[in-house]
Amino acid sequence: MRRIPIDKAVPGQILAEKLTRHDGVLLAGQGSEITEGLLRMLSRMNIDTVVIEEEESRTAEQVMEDFRDFVSQLEARFVRVTTSPVLMALKKTMLFMAQKERDLTLALIDKPNSSTEASERPPADEPLGSA
Amino acid sequence: MTNPQTKVQDRVQVKKEVRKIKNLPTVPGIVAKISRMVENPETSAAEVGRLISQDQVLSAKVLRMANSAFFGMSRKISSISQALVILGFEVVKGLVLTSSVFDMIQKSMAGLWEHSIGCAAASGAVATLLGREDAEEILVAGLLHDLGKVVLALNLPEEMRLIVEKVASGHILFYEAENQLLDFDHSELGQWLAEHWNLPESLAEPMRLHHRPEKAVLKPECTAIVHIADIIIRAKGFGNGGDMLVPPISMAAWEMLGLKKTDFLPILEILEPKLSNLVDITSIN
Repeated sequence: MRRIPIDKAVPGQILAEKLTRHDGVLLAGQGSEITEGLLRMLSRMNIDTVVIEEEESRTAEQVMEDFRDFVSQLEARFVRVTTSPVLMALKKTMLFMAQKERDLTLALIDKPNSSTEASERPPADEPLGSA
Repeated sequence: MTNPQTKVQDRVQVKKEVRKIKNLPTVPGIVAKISRMVENPETSAAEVGRLISQDQVLSAKVLRMANSAFFGMSRKISSISQALVILGFEVVKGLVLTSSVFDMIQKSMAGLWEHSIGCAAASGAVATLLGREDAEEILVAGLLHDLGKVVLALNLPEEMRLIVEKVASGHILFYEAENQLLDFDHSELGQWLAEHWNLPESLAEPMRLHHRPEKAVLKPECTAIVHIADIIIRAKGFGNGGDMLVPPISMAAWEMLGLKKTDFLPILEILEPKLSNLVDITSIN
C-alpha cells in the first residue's frame, strides 16, 4: 500500500485503509473503490492524503527476485546470530511473513484477468508453517 | 576481538580528542521552559499548550507526530492542548524535544532518523502487545535512545569517520567499534547529555542502557522494551543505526518482560503497517 496526496488519487483505485473524517466518522471502508464523488467529498473536508492498494505491476519473476534479495539481506543482518534461539525465532518469523506476502502477491499475478504470465510462476519454496 | 590493523597512533589520538567534547549541545530553550513550567503544580495544560503553540513550526511538527501512525489515534489531534490531554505531559515534552533536535539527528548520520522512528514504532508495538499503559512514553524513549550518536557525530567528526570505517571493514557493531576506538560508546554520551538536559529517567535510562538493559534499576521494563525494539528494527533493516547487524539480545531483559518466541509474529504484525505509514514523518521539515 502507498499513501498518496489526494490530487494524485484517481477513480478506480482501491483504498488500502478505511477513511475517516477528522472526528472519526467513517467515510469509506477498507477495500472500497475511489469514486469521483468520494474525491469531491474529501477535498471539501480538507482530507489531503489517502492510502491506496499498490497496483501489482511486477512479474512473477520480479517478485521471486525481490524475495531472494530480501532473504540475502536478512541473512547478512543476522550473520552474527548463530546460537540465540530467540533471535533465530525472530529471523524465522520474518522469513515466514515475507514468504506469506510473496505467495499472496504471486496469487494476485496468477489471476487470469490481471496477467497472461500465470504459467511463468516458479514453484514456491517450502513454507515454514501454516498461516 | 581487536583488529591488529588498528593503528596505535589512531587510538592514542582518538582518546586525546575525546576531551574536545566540552560543550554538549544546549537543551532546546523551549524544552527547558516546559520543564520549569511542569515543575510548578499550579501549571495547567492550557498554559503549556500556549507556550508550545507560540512556535508555529514546532507545534506543526509535534502535531504531525501526534497524528502519525505512531499513536494510531482514531480522532485527529488538532491542537497542542488537546495533545497534552490525550498523550500527557511527558509524551508531548518528548515530541517537542524530538522536533527540536530533528535537524541535529538528520544532519548527524544518514539513516539515523529513520532508525529512531522505526525503533519508536517497534517500542510502541512491543509495549502494546504487553498491554503497557505507558506505551506512548516507552515509544518516546525508543525515539530518543540513540541521541548519544548525535553528540558523537557532531562533536567528534574525525573519530566518527574512523568508527564508520571500522564498521565497514567487517562484521562489527557500531558500539563495539566505538568501544575499541574510544573506550566508551554512544550510550555513555547519551547519559551525559541526559544529565546535562535533565531528562526524566524514562528517557535517560534507555539512552544509557539499551545495550545492557539488565543493568537498569529505575526503568528496567522501559529499558528492556527499547532494547528488544532496537533488535527488531535492525532485523527489519529499517533505517541505519550505524551498522546493519542484529546485535546480541539480553536474555535477562527478554525473560523479565515475559516474552515468548511466538510473540514476534503479533509484534511484527502491529509494526508492519505503522512502518509503511511513517513515511509522512520521515521528513517532518
